[in-house]
Amino acid sequence: MQNLRLQRLGLPNLGLGVGLRNQHFSYLMRNDPQVDWFEIISENFMDNFGFARHVLERMAAIRPIVMHGVSLSIGSTDPLDWTYLKSLKTLADFVQPKWISDHLCWTGLANVNTHDLLPVPLTEESLLHVVDRVRQIQDFLQRPLILENPSTYLEFKKSTITEWDFLSELVKETGCGLLLDVNNVYVSSHNHGFDAEHYIRSLPHSSIVQIHLAGPTDCGQYLVDTHDQPVPTAVWHLYKLAQELTGGVATLLEWDANIPDFPELVVELKKAEAALQGLIPDAPLRHSSAAQIVSNPVDFQLVSRT
Amino acid sequence: MTEQSLNRLQLWMKTVVTERGSLGEKLESAAQQHGLLIEEVIAEKRGLSAHKRLSIYTSGYVARLLDCMRADFPVLRRFVGESVFDAFAKAYIVTEPPHSPSLFDLGAGFPKFLEETKPKNSEAEAEIIALLDLPPEIAGLERARTEVMRARGTENDPTAVTSLSPFEIFSEDLKVQATPCLRLLELKFSLVDFFQETDQNLPLQPERRHSFVAIGRSDYRVHVKEIELWQFAFLKACECPVSVYFAARLAAEQSGKELSFVLAQLVVWLPVAIQLGFLRQISSRHDTFSPA
Repeated sequence: MQNLRLQRLGLPNLGLGVGLRNQHFSYLMRNDPQVDWFEIISENFMDNFGFARHVLERMAAIRPIVMHGVSLSIGSTDPLDWTYLKSLKTLADFVQPKWISDHLCWTGLANVNTHDLLPVPLTEESLLHVVDRVRQIQDFLQRPLILENPSTYLEFKKSTITEWDFLSELVKETGCGLLLDVNNVYVSSHNHGFDAEHYIRSLPHSSIVQIHLAGPTDCGQYLVDTHDQPVPTAVWHLYKLAQELTGGVATLLEWDANIPDFPELVVELKKAEAALQGLIPDAPLRHSSAAQIVSNPVDFQLVSRT
Repeated sequence: MTEQSLNRLQLWMKTVVTERGSLGEKLESAAQQHGLLIEEVIAEKRGLSAHKRLSIYTSGYVARLLDCMRADFPVLRRFVGESVFDAFAKAYIVTEPPHSPSLFDLGAGFPKFLEETKPKNSEAEAEIIALLDLPPEIAGLERARTEVMRARGTENDPTAVTSLSPFEIFSEDLKVQATPCLRLLELKFSLVDFFQETDQNLPLQPERRHSFVAIGRSDYRVHVKEIELWQFAFLKACECPVSVYFAARLAAEQSGKELSFVLAQLVVWLPVAIQLGFLRQISSRHDTFSPA
């Protein structure tokens, strides 16, 4: 059991966690957290010395913290943003996170940040580019970088490599770890027509250190990663498969829009224990015909007025 | 066919996502700038067109940032109404796309944008022209309030002394300094009461009156207070560590008050200003502020 808990680049299986969100600060300062660990959005806490920092300090004293970023822009052809990286390292020095993660994506170019997780053309050129940047960042942070597969809605005609092969090569060349978002696999597999199970089976499982769970929205012809729903049955199946293949890694439930009260969030998170025992929750995929469905919602990044 | 390097593909997509106009207009602009057509770049699969796939990113870009702007400026939203606010915010997003990795920085330039783009129609009635000053002022106060929430305060500052006996201010050793989170505003309207009323969903028309506002934070609570000119001048004088007497003298000069008046007022107000997180008292042994 001890060996299992220390696998995955030597990083521990932290158990079941949730994101540390403004909406729950008040509750968490008055109640037991009820979860094994917290993930923070790194950018929310950089240069933030208000109540959020106070809550973070309190939570970090009683639970492990993982830093998850959204603006590293590892795939961008802009130079690495060393000011950003220094802020990231400063925050890491304060938080002492178990690991630091971000996404296989690019968020902007020419000094513009779209605050979206834009898809990387999956080519040899991109792979070499990302490998070089991951190495530089790992040297700077003095720790392995953990990269997450994003949800994507388009593929470039220029792409010649599958996403799972791209990630596998990246791991092989850099020694980075993977944050496997099984919801993102589900969303992208639906949008692009690949086999989600094959994707998960094809990854280097010993390098997966964390799993993300979330609920997407069915917009008819495509799925959108909305993080605003209970996890649907199909995603729970992928989660069970991933945990069997990895031998057990830290699990995080993402819920970033229409965020429920903390106890309700914990109830959804605890379904992961049942899923691993084969009791897959029966949860339908939510359909929406709303004209404006936003992927990668930012509610959780908005300023709290409380 | 134009060569599709990683950089060219990203430049093309960045243009399509962030430029103004309909998707067709964005694609035309991107084709002119980067020599790429959508049918050359984006794959079509499963009956979902390249245009539809790309539009998920283009519409999401504005919608996501608009959500941020709405959250950062709730008082302005209520004052001008949702549709007018959205028009302002969308124009700002398209004109000044975000540069910072942090969404907190997104709204930093919004007050200035509103000020610079307000109609300058001299034929309108003076009252209408005066009202055009309100949106930038409201946005400026909201932005300052947000900055105070996140800035360094005195909560973890072991050198800050938060209580002060009234007659200590006459001590020559007593020095004070503005806290890092203090924000001072000089406004054309009286907005503090207006903000408090609007926070309680009781909007009223702010009074057009020259006013001064100090925003500070103590114990993680933000305090927004209307202050008098001498207090404004006093706080301004405290940007660097300064003796109370020296700052009082400056405040008296700039406000046209007698020094004796300012000193007498400070007996009551200085402890309050410290408690509200506007100022921190520093002893003569701590001339510089080095927050943890």
